[in-house]
Amino acid sequence: MYVSTFLSLPSYGAFLVSPIVPADPGTFSIIEKVLLAVLIMLSVVLFWLRFGVVLDKILKSRRDPSFRLTHLGKRAWDFFSEVICQSKVIRQRPLPGLAHAFVFWAFLAFALVTTNHVATGFGLDLLGSRNRSGWVSIAFSDVYFGLAGLFAVACAISIAGLFVRRFFARPTWLARPDHELSYESGVIAGLIFALMATYLASLYVGSGPWAHGLWWAHTLCLLVFLPLVPHTKHLHLVLSPFTIFFSRGSFSAIPPLEGDEDFGLVAGKDLTQLVTLQAYSCVECGRCTEHCPANNTGKILNPKEVVLGLRSYLNDLGPASEEPLLGKYNSQEAVFECTTCGACEFQCPVGIEHLPIIVGLRRGATNTGAWEDDYGGKLFNALERNSNALGMSALERDKFVQKQELPIFDGSQEYCLWLGCMGGYDPRGREIISSFVEVMRHLGATFGVLRKEKCTGDPARRLGNDLVFQQLAEANLEALQQQKVKKIVSICPHCVRTIQEDWKEFGLPPEVEHHSEFLARHRAELPQSNSNEKVVFHDPCYLGRYRNVYDEPRSIASLAGSLVEAERSRERSFCCGAGGGLAFLGEEQGERVSHNRAQQLVATGATTIGAACPFCNTMFRDALAASGDNSPRLLDIAQIAANQIKAAQPAQVAASEN
Amino acid sequence: MKIIVAIKQVPERDARIRIDSGNKWIDLEDVEFSMNESDAYALEEALQLKEAHGGEVIVVSAGPERAGKTIREALAKGADRAIHLQSSDETELAAYDALGVARLLAASIQDEKADLVLTGLQSDDLGLGQTGVILAELLGLPHASLILKIEVAGNGLKVLRELEDGWFQHIELATPAVLTIQSGNTKLRYATLMGIKKAKTKEVRVIAVADLVASDPSLKPTAPSVVLDQVKLPHKQRSTQLLGGSPAEAAAALVEKLQFEVRVI
Repeated sequence: MYVSTFLSLPSYGAFLVSPIVPADPGTFSIIEKVLLAVLIMLSVVLFWLRFGVVLDKILKSRRDPSFRLTHLGKRAWDFFSEVICQSKVIRQRPLPGLAHAFVFWAFLAFALVTTNHVATGFGLDLLGSRNRSGWVSIAFSDVYFGLAGLFAVACAISIAGLFVRRFFARPTWLARPDHELSYESGVIAGLIFALMATYLASLYVGSGPWAHGLWWAHTLCLLVFLPLVPHTKHLHLVLSPFTIFFSRGSFSAIPPLEGDEDFGLVAGKDLTQLVTLQAYSCVECGRCTEHCPANNTGKILNPKEVVLGLRSYLNDLGPASEEPLLGKYNSQEAVFECTTCGACEFQCPVGIEHLPIIVGLRRGATNTGAWEDDYGGKLFNALERNSNALGMSALERDKFVQKQELPIFDGSQEYCLWLGCMGGYDPRGREIISSFVEVMRHLGATFGVLRKEKCTGDPARRLGNDLVFQQLAEANLEALQQQKVKKIVSICPHCVRTIQEDWKEFGLPPEVEHHSEFLARHRAELPQSNSNEKVVFHDPCYLGRYRNVYDEPRSIASLAGSLVEAERSRERSFCCGAGGGLAFLGEEQGERVSHNRAQQLVATGATTIGAACPFCNTMFRDALAASGDNSPRLLDIAQIAANQIKAAQPAQVAASEN
Repeated sequence: MKIIVAIKQVPERDARIRIDSGNKWIDLEDVEFSMNESDAYALEEALQLKEAHGGEVIVVSAGPERAGKTIREALAKGADRAIHLQSSDETELAAYDALGVARLLAASIQDEKADLVLTGLQSDDLGLGQTGVILAELLGLPHASLILKIEVAGNGLKVLRELEDGWFQHIELATPAVLTIQSGNTKLRYATLMGIKKAKTKEVRVIAVADLVASDPSLKPTAPSVVLDQVKLPHKQRSTQLLGGSPAEAAAALVEKLQFEVRVI
């Protein structure tokens, strides 16, 4: 009806010509209206036949006893950022991410268009696309349909691009286990394209049989699309906004075990509503796989398959099953290859929390004794008997403390210096402690060490041994409380994380910080080198992704020279291979993660590699030694700072040596 | 197969030890305790036998109330029930020598009629290495010591016994029997959360030493045949040798020393 005015009223500029409205499809016969009603019902029923089942599985899963719907502000912000703005989708893969975002935004824009479209079939004129009367209808028909048209163009181009990518460019991480293409994705893409095309066409044709035909074409696409959603990975359309909103609230949040029958994720009955919701939300984009250090070095672990394994389990057996989760649907071996680096969870665009799932599966295996591993058993026995992960005598730590003349914490000092297993027992870790102590003394900071210190329980925690973890956490909390420790500083990001977050289950830990944070506060007091050394800093997973500390260690690493960045850095940093207790397990399958990462660091051409974690340090030391002699120097940031202090006082050092 | 494992709670291996004021024993304050190492291996052997052939594993331990923790640990690892021969304090059992303790143990397990009794080779604290073999004598059962491996063969057992200088002995013996187990031949399982939770519901029969003695006066401590006269901390001595020559020669010299002088490989 108004298409005739389409070009004649260019009052809104060259591109947005008003009014733009879909062509009037004319009147619908009673038979057509009945047919439409039947088809809608059929589509909704087909949708519900599957969606109802999924919803039932989610609701019938165990409740998450520790879940609280708090921090609504953060939830709202995450929802706005990750769902509405598609931040995670875009950030990791800008081009396909933007394409996806346009499809999503077009869907939002089409909410009203579609409602109006269906209403038209029943002779209703909700948005006034047929009879322009009243300001609402005029505003809508003047602006909204045109705007929707722009989104439709962007969406059609995007979905076509994504189709080409999936079916012709074929990135490996989109592959399914048997390397089949996901044909339903092709059908969905075709339908979305058709929806947009029919809408756009309806803006151009005049009313009449064409308009009527287009209306039906658009409607049929819609009614076929709807039931396909819950039957395919496109279920994420419906679920992922909820998944993101109902997150556990923090990174790698491992829920406390509840009662005497909870050992972690052993069988279907242990899957909580959040886990089931997440399993059904997976969109199979493979970002987790793309970033997984285990998967990238030839291990069988594939985080995407872990999530899809749970989904298959739920599809076949449901959430009440007693059948073990590890077995047919997920491999125990794969789950124990995870370094808990968290790259998967960090970038998952649909809010899946991989770490609680993977650690949960490990808990299920370890807490029940189902995980039999020589190294694992040795580690747990060492933690039980010697209270340190290296299985050495506590006397060795005493000797080190005496030799270094480390003061014992007595409440008069500001900091409790936490040595950790590496700092207390490992020769290389001890060097880092010695350097850090030099720097602390130089800065005039007061500190003391505990007379007795046990492992924080990090490796036990990540390998799912709650018994050992609890014993260690409780003993340490008690010792710290007795000594009235207020502030802890540690050279190990694993200790920091475990003390601050994981111990909370058993008490209130003191304030704790990583030495990079301490050193960064005193950056101005540390001498800067003017050499032209190139320094590359490796972000430890437990400092970066787990703690969001990226700039502080860089500010110290840059004391030695100018910084260069590895290709994967900051929140995309690649694990050294030691996390998740793997430093203590046996030889890896495939390539060593540490060798892979060391090559990435060497490739920057840096002359110094700055590390900020004793585990990364020991992994890279071995990797560099294996790779040859032209290796760059490997230094912890505490060693970099200590070297600068020494270099700035050559006269005194020389004098004291004489 | 019904297997009894005698376990002892001893001061932790790395405990910082101080001698008590009487120079007769160590100061037990601040000391943490753990399961005697070779007893842990005896328990592991018992659990493996049970897993392979079925049956029941019962642990027995003589010690004060604190030994209950070690008993729980054994139950958590998979023992089915326990007998705690409880002394009223730290000194009550000190009046007994190895013979006396073995008598108490024998009296507390006699009615069980076990097919196999396992003990560790010796305790990490006193290191007498006698309780197990005396127990066999008191129970009137055949025994073998320093056992590395146990296999069920017909109606009896085939065991591997460690001799000196890298020699081994294969022995077949009939059950019931008593074996004392050497450390290190198998891998110890770790205690699990599920095990600890299950252990809470397992039976621990507590027998007071005094009650046992009252029921059988012959168990009263007699004048011990062995008396602990004095306890001293080991004298530390260090000797360092630098091995010269090419890396290959130094390595060869090192291996020889480790093998024949230090005898650790």
